[in-house]
Amino acid sequence: MHRSNRVAAAGAGRLAQRSACVALGIAALAWLPTALADDAAEWLQHAAVAARQLNYVGTLLYQHDGRVETSRVMHMVDARGEHEKLFNLDGPAREVIRNNDEVRCYYPDAKIIRIEPRTYRNAFPSLLPQQLDTLAEYYVFRKAETARIAGIETQAFVFEPRDGMRYGHKLWADLSSGLLLKAQLLNEHNVPIEQFVFTDIEIGGKIDRDSVRPTYRPPPPDWETRMSLPGDVVQQDTGWQVKELPPGFSKIVEGYRTLRGKVGPVAHLVFSDGLVAVSVFVEQMPQAPQPIGSSQQGGINVYSRQLDEHLVTVLGETPGATVRQIADSVSHR
Amino acid sequence: MGKFQGPLDGAPPLTAEEISLWIDGELDAERSARGCGGDTTTMATWACYHEIGDQLRGCGGSIRGFGARFSARLDAEPTVLAPRARPTPVAVAWALAASVAAVGVVGWVALTTMSVPPAAVTTAQQAAVVRPADVRRPVVNEYLLAHQEYSPTTAIQGVRPYLRAVATDTPDAPE
Repeated sequence: MHRSNRVAAAGAGRLAQRSACVALGIAALAWLPTALADDAAEWLQHAAVAARQLNYVGTLLYQHDGRVETSRVMHMVDARGEHEKLFNLDGPAREVIRNNDEVRCYYPDAKIIRIEPRTYRNAFPSLLPQQLDTLAEYYVFRKAETARIAGIETQAFVFEPRDGMRYGHKLWADLSSGLLLKAQLLNEHNVPIEQFVFTDIEIGGKIDRDSVRPTYRPPPPDWETRMSLPGDVVQQDTGWQVKELPPGFSKIVEGYRTLRGKVGPVAHLVFSDGLVAVSVFVEQMPQAPQPIGSSQQGGINVYSRQLDEHLVTVLGETPGATVRQIADSVSHR
Repeated sequence: MGKFQGPLDGAPPLTAEEISLWIDGELDAERSARGCGGDTTTMATWACYHEIGDQLRGCGGSIRGFGARFSARLDAEPTVLAPRARPTPVAVAWALAASVAAVGVVGWVALTTMSVPPAAVTTAQQAAVVRPADVRRPVVNEYLLAHQEYSPTTAIQGVRPYLRAVATDTPDAPE
């Protein structure tokens, strides 16, 4: 081949490449939500996998409603699976222990242990692709600044809500491991209403198995154990429905569960938009008078109302208007 | 439903080690559900471990006839090998003393780590006094725990969001 031909061929190649780039660019613009969603999903999955597979130990601040609460968190993985321990350093002692799918909450002052079997968490990453489209439809995803948190370089990213039915989320992920070191919920004025942030953390070190075991082990006999049985939330039709579900939310779980102090089983429906969840609980109206109306703690809003002979309670990491709209449109088929 | 059954689907009964893990909350939920059932050996071991825990903490009742049963069991134990002489009563006494000492240490450790410091209780009472704005009901806390299990925030942050449910909780408040 002559040199000129080679040049021409190369030129044609470059042209083709450029055209391809332009075409790709247009395609990317046309498919922007999906592309962004892929990116967002990648960050979220990375964070979820890091939270599950890494060893880490650190000091965590939980800030909400003008309060700051300090806790220690340790997470380790061994042949038996995942073990996590969290206990607060100020206020009444509290301890949360997780062994794979079981979560135990210890309340030493009240001598109570609550045991919650979990079944959903491991399904999270596989759930994402189904909800990617709604994620991009209801949030604007963007990468924000890089920042140093607890001495570690992080990348901040933001999920900005496109409507008033959800809060904004700003998350800071460790650039090398993907682990979230800071998470904020932001209200409609972009003001943080809840924040989890590590002030120090060691990632990837060796963690002693004993350091993630319960402090109260075995529990003293005069402690009360409140336990939901494994597989307690049986997937079944409860007959309850939400007629005016805010856009973007879809049902991920429906069933009955037994809760302490309740005469009969409580219907539990969970709706998610991919980033947060809203729970609907319906129970027989208790004999004792029940507080009706709304309350809030940090990023959690709660709304209760009476519906004939039933008490409907809705809560989730969403604005008050969202839980209220859901509660007001609960009905029985 | 609700009745004790044998291990499900032919699952083998829990081993002693598994029961120990179960008591510590470290056994897979599925395994404990399938393996426990109403197998009498499993239940006896479970009860026995709890009894040991109670005795260690000094809060179990005295076990009536324990000494007699222990002696009977000891006598019934087959002598393992003929050539080896039975341990002298002194050796038995030392061995027993050693176990008691070990139990003593374990018991002491357990007691130290488990007692709630009076300061913590005071702090709890003070917190209750200085937090009149905290109007959340215990029932909502139960709900919040149940909810947290399904929230994607738990998936990306681990147990951190459970702080919402336990941080300012008052599970002992009258319902």
